[in-house]
Amino acid sequence: MTAAFPPDSAAARGLALCHACGIASPVSEARCPRCRSGLHLRLQDSLQRTWALTIAALLLYLPANLLPVLRMESFAGDQQNTIMGGVIQFWRGGDYPVAIIIFGASVMIPVLKIISIISLCLAARTGRRPRGMTRLYRMTEFVGRWSMVDVFVVAILVAVVQLGSTISIHPGAGAISFAAVVVLTMFAAMSFDPRLIWDAAARSATSAP
Amino acid sequence: MSHERNSIHRTAALALSAGVLFVVANSFPFMTLRAGFRKSEMMLWQSASGLEEQGYPYLAGAVSIFILIAPLLLIGGLLYLLVPLLWERRWPGAIAICRWVLAARRWNMIEVFLLGALVSLLKLGKLAELTLGSSFWAFIGLIICLTAALASIHPRELWTRLEMAR
Repeated sequence: MTAAFPPDSAAARGLALCHACGIASPVSEARCPRCRSGLHLRLQDSLQRTWALTIAALLLYLPANLLPVLRMESFAGDQQNTIMGGVIQFWRGGDYPVAIIIFGASVMIPVLKIISIISLCLAARTGRRPRGMTRLYRMTEFVGRWSMVDVFVVAILVAVVQLGSTISIHPGAGAISFAAVVVLTMFAAMSFDPRLIWDAAARSATSAP
Repeated sequence: MSHERNSIHRTAALALSAGVLFVVANSFPFMTLRAGFRKSEMMLWQSASGLEEQGYPYLAGAVSIFILIAPLLLIGGLLYLLVPLLWERRWPGAIAICRWVLAARRWNMIEVFLLGALVSLLKLGKLAELTLGSSFWAFIGLIICLTAALASIHPRELWTRLEMAR
């Protein structure tokens, strides 16, 4: 870590907060004296890791939405369901709140989460609007988990309809890509260090006339 | 230290109730489907094993982490840390377990699973008769207790108390 820290910061005095237990100790110790996890001033290779995970999530977002998440075999014939297909089905059936919840959780949240992580990575370089960006980071961490709802719907439907009588339900390849998108964006948010935004803001403040 | 006096007691009590409810939620059927003369009962863990049987082992693994392993790790870990802390003691490996418990928080998705269960009810309600089992109600209690337990414990306080304990 070669970034210069403001002279009045703990980092400039060689003090680091433990990522696991939050105690401040000299970074020269290498391991936290309390919980023995590794000590670093900032999360290691934070931006590279976050970019890599976010790009992977972005690529998987396509199959997650284009491939069917479940296949339903019934007396009426074979029916394949994508995520959007499920939303449209609920909407046509008059279940507007459910259609909106599914659309929000499965289509909107992943896109918004990917966009917000990308803008956080950019802000860690430019240092623009650090306060708003930190708020965005907290929101991103909080809402991402709700995207998993469609995967759980598939899991429940597959488990409960195991009769092989009139209908049978099988998971589709879209479900696993979808779960992968959620897990990858969670790892991306975890590997991002929000302090990088404030470092960049401090740098741009000192270099500005 | 200006910690709340009874936060350890409260969290331990909530974690214990969550543990009991977890056992109940996993010992009774979660949902029952009736179509004609046939009837199928679904246990909570079958939502993971069903995916495995259909050839999706990774998806099954992910689902079981989110609704079984992470909650179990949280409940067991909290009890292992908090019960000895009531007497200001700590059992071996407490530091490592505390790190595991804090990391498991974000992978516990039981409340998202509940929303998934409600959506499935609506999705299948038109095709077959679906009823909720006793596990479903225990599961709701589990969500309430575990969420309250996690909200009433502060990582900093937990670490300081563990450090002071013998």
